[in-house]
Amino acid sequence: MRRPVYPVAVALAATLGLSACGGGGDDDGGSASSGDDRTLVVDTSFQLTTSDPARMFEPTGQIVDHVIYETLFTFEGTDSTTPLPLIATGDEVSADGLTHTMALRDDVTFSDGTPLTADDVVFSLNRVAQVKGNPSFLMDGVTVAKVDDTTVTLTTATPDPALPFKLTNPALGVVNSAAVTEAGGSADPGADTADTAEDALNEESQGSGPYVLDTFDVQDQVVLVRNEEYWGDAPAYSRIVMRNTESSVQSVNVRSGDSQLVLDLSADQAADLGGDVTVDSSASANVFFVYTNNDPAVSPITSNPAFQEAVRYGIDYEALVELAGEGASQTPGVIPTTFLGALDPSDAVARDVDRAKEALARSGVADPTVTMSYPSDVQVNGLDFGDLAAAVQQQLAEVGITLELAPAPVQTALEGYRAGTEQMGLWSWGPDYPDPSDYLVFTPGQLVGLRAGWPAGADPELEQAAAAVASEFEEGARTEQYTAIQQRLNEVGPFYPLIQPAQVLAYSSSLDGVAFNPSWTVDLADLG
Amino acid sequence: MTAPDPLVVPAAPLAGDTDVAAVAAPTAARTLARSPWRRPLGLIGLVVIVLWVLVAIAAPLLAPFDPLAQVAPKLLEPSGEHWFGTDNLGRDVFSRVLYGARLSVPLAILLVVLATLVGSVLGAVAGYFGRWVDAGIMRLTDLVFAFPGIILAMAVTAALGAGLRNAVLALVVVTWPSYARVVRGLVLSTREQDHIQASRLLGSSALRTLAVDVRPTVLGPVLVLSALDVGNAVLLLSGLSFLGLGARPPAPEWGAMVSAGAQVFDSWWVGLFPGLAILTVVLAFNFLGDTLRDALDPRTARALRG
Amino acid sequence: MAPRAPWRHRALLRFVLRRLLAGLLLCLGVTLVSFLLTQAVPGDPVTANLGQRASEDPAAVAAFRAANGLDQPLPQQYLTYLGNLLTGDFGDSQQTRNPVASDLGEKVPATMELALAAIVIAVVLGVGFGIVAALYRDRWPDQVLRVLSLTGVSVPTFWLALIAYYWVSFKADLLPAGGRLAPGAQAPEQVTGLYTVDALLAGDWATFGDAAAHLVLPAMVLASFTVGVLLRFTRASVLEVLGDEYVRAARAKGLPEFTVVRRHVLRPALVSVVTVTGVAFAGLLSGTVLVEQIFSWRGLGAYAYTSALALDLPAIMGVSVVVAIIYVLLNLVVDLLYGVIDPRLRQS
Repeated sequence: MRRPVYPVAVALAATLGLSACGGGGDDDGGSASSGDDRTLVVDTSFQLTTSDPARMFEPTGQIVDHVIYETLFTFEGTDSTTPLPLIATGDEVSADGLTHTMALRDDVTFSDGTPLTADDVVFSLNRVAQVKGNPSFLMDGVTVAKVDDTTVTLTTATPDPALPFKLTNPALGVVNSAAVTEAGGSADPGADTADTAEDALNEESQGSGPYVLDTFDVQDQVVLVRNEEYWGDAPAYSRIVMRNTESSVQSVNVRSGDSQLVLDLSADQAADLGGDVTVDSSASANVFFVYTNNDPAVSPITSNPAFQEAVRYGIDYEALVELAGEGASQTPGVIPTTFLGALDPSDAVARDVDRAKEALARSGVADPTVTMSYPSDVQVNGLDFGDLAAAVQQQLAEVGITLELAPAPVQTALEGYRAGTEQMGLWSWGPDYPDPSDYLVFTPGQLVGLRAGWPAGADPELEQAAAAVASEFEEGARTEQYTAIQQRLNEVGPFYPLIQPAQVLAYSSSLDGVAFNPSWTVDLADLG
Repeated sequence: MTAPDPLVVPAAPLAGDTDVAAVAAPTAARTLARSPWRRPLGLIGLVVIVLWVLVAIAAPLLAPFDPLAQVAPKLLEPSGEHWFGTDNLGRDVFSRVLYGARLSVPLAILLVVLATLVGSVLGAVAGYFGRWVDAGIMRLTDLVFAFPGIILAMAVTAALGAGLRNAVLALVVVTWPSYARVVRGLVLSTREQDHIQASRLLGSSALRTLAVDVRPTVLGPVLVLSALDVGNAVLLLSGLSFLGLGARPPAPEWGAMVSAGAQVFDSWWVGLFPGLAILTVVLAFNFLGDTLRDALDPRTARALRG
Repeated sequence: MAPRAPWRHRALLRFVLRRLLAGLLLCLGVTLVSFLLTQAVPGDPVTANLGQRASEDPAAVAAFRAANGLDQPLPQQYLTYLGNLLTGDFGDSQQTRNPVASDLGEKVPATMELALAAIVIAVVLGVGFGIVAALYRDRWPDQVLRVLSLTGVSVPTFWLALIAYYWVSFKADLLPAGGRLAPGAQAPEQVTGLYTVDALLAGDWATFGDAAAHLVLPAMVLASFTVGVLLRFTRASVLEVLGDEYVRAARAKGLPEFTVVRRHVLRPALVSVVTVTGVAFAGLLSGTVLVEQIFSWRGLGAYAYTSALALDLPAIMGVSVVVAIIYVLLNLVVDLLYGVIDPRLRQS
């Protein structure tokens, strides 16, 4: 103890120094190696809680589960308007629009070699409904029944043209019912407490997809390895490592070749990545929107229709698009431009400072000061809510409206948002499934409508239109009705759709098959 | 308390910010105080501080642009028009850095003043009354030292809402114990002095003795200690803002600006300049503080060992 | 060393026991405070952890509350927590779905590795430069080092991290960017949880190099503050000893300057440096939040930050308890070292 400490320290430092040199040449060891044994490294900023399909509904979980669990229907490439059969071979809808009869493939096997049957489909879908996790709403009002080993029927309470679209969601992926039951899974009523299979599913996946779970850590990384028993064509990569990485680090990694694909860059971050990186920038399906609470009890100011008009015409949508960077666009209505029923850009609200000032004067509210809440610790497509909020604040100041910004960590901010107690809010809506019916939540008495203090009965005509379109199968009629609903929303709704940021996918130029899908971002099994 | 205080050595509440050097050996300080070469540093520090104070006062005159306005295309490189470039919202970084002085410096001083006040009162009470009062307050300081500062700060901002003022409050909760310990030590050492003993024997109330007889002895060193800590306070505050627990957008707070720079760090100028601003301010306070510390007489320096 | 009388051992034992008891009480206090804090914070762990859809469903909310014991009265919840804690059960993190104990088992070594590397760097540079500064007192090396040390304690670590990251990893591509290992690399078999050490134990040089390359930059950034502190402190202690009588006597005896410095100055001076290093280490351990943030180092700091953001109660409590334990133990070690090393203190 009485010996001086420094020689030890010097020796240690020397080792460190040496190792630094030794490590320098070694750090590209993770990239693809030759032959059949190739590793794909994907960086994304994790939004992930579980890989159990019955409980999973976060963006990263969707990416992971899409290649582990196969669904009855799916989409190919960038298309998200035409559901294609995957495990199902077709969908016959009864005359009343309530019963869907689906024949199943008979050559699908799970990763342990067991063949997939109608029992597995019934079990998986019922389990989603009964576990009452985040995706259970997809099964609201749906009953599933087995006809024979290769046929199932799905019956909906009201005609639901969106059902095949919903069935593409990885949360409705089919699990190996025998294995999941053995792991403590249950698809019976009461499964919300009785089902204990989640931990087991995060250890070992039970799907029929091209990959199986190797390791799963919601904060660090997820490793997938090829399903050697896969019934279809084997994917190109034998191993996929998905790392939880902040967007600023992603740009470094993709540039240095440290990772081959990164998913969360903003348009700005992707601006200058060098020649070896391909940047795909397309309109994402995420919609940033501002809302003003329509409930006078929450705020007599924000519920004032003339004030709402002032906000609507005071926001500089063009400037926000500019702020969001290349590839972003204004969302003309609440439905993103890539979906059926989206408004024509010519229907979009344009800034009109005079009209905004005039409306504000008409509102009778002098020098209004309103609090606008937003989540401060999350980003959507690399875009920060705080930046958008600051821009909106500045723009509304020009028409005489003072915004106090109230950022909070998302979990705290969600409290006020869900309770409908925020005066004004800046949030985003990502599609649960790529069908316009998902956006009826913005109508009175629905999920987001209620959050904005817009109860059922506030606009009966609009509510009727919403109920009608939800059961409409005919495409022309759907487009027309969704258009009308959004035009109405743009006139009287307390919502102000702002922008759809660009979905930037940046990847090493040697990578093929990268295509953006609004649900699972990228189909990792398509990459080669 | 004759036994060594069980947990007398303070750990840093956040990011290694405890000034462990406060434990520095006093004799050395005494020796060094005589060396003349240190004064230039103190002078430089003073000049830089004065400059920053002037910048803070005159920011509206000096800044070429409104710090909150989106005046130009975003992420412009530094140029003749925008000396420090523009940020991801097209705001002028130079103007924002200048305006930032209006937030960071006064709030850091406020933080130190509040922490000193709370710490001194509790420390004096602990030192003067001893026994269970002392034990209680000292255990409280242990508790704060042993508690992860980030969680404490997070809880305060979550409860009171984000904002610089609340960040200051959160940091007062984290930092007062260092002052309490120093003041307690000083009071303990003065309590036995003759004139205070005499005053007590003459029947002065505890409060009066503390306020009239003990205060003057303790005041000087505590003020110096506070001055030393302004630099640290700037670091702590900007660190919280960097994590998103301090300044609310669009406030031009330096830590928050560095944080924005981290998002677009290919545009290096967004984060570099506000960071340099923090560095120069803190460095100036530390230059000055170091010189002050050396100028102290050895007895006080010894007491300040904490 | 003179043989000690048996009563000395008993006194030492009593001292340690008393300190451990005090430490235990402290930890208890920390659990209580963190429990109360998390209760006081607005934001319901239910909404925070159930997700958008499920928290709209009263049945799911009730199930979650029951499953996590949140339907019990507060004192009951606290006592249950303490009871479990005694058996080493920290509960399950609502965010990672892992037992908090296993999360901590991963995060603590990660931060420990970072802090150890930083303290090594800080000691080498700080003590080395401190000695130089003292020996060249008031001459130019001293002056340069003084500015260096003050800069070390003045630079915002989060900014330095960013700058280092930009220039070293991004522009120059000298060191890997973020994380503890190359992507997809297998962590060495866990013995200590420190990747560098575990890799060495396994004789895996490639992994060792990889881990060390990832470690170097964050550790250096983290060390910057401590280098400044140790430099100043070492300089001061060496100067103090240089002024002592026996050093002057040794010089008067005509011993070579090198021998004087090595034998009579460094040893006694470094004794006190050891204790300061202990304190600095405690600071480093709890102070990695900012650096971990930039370098994607998934350690205790990052864990504390994300748990606090997500209102992940069991994780918050777990972090608090661990930090308190580290604090208590480090202080005990420092005090013991101080007592063992410094003869003057032992006599008094």
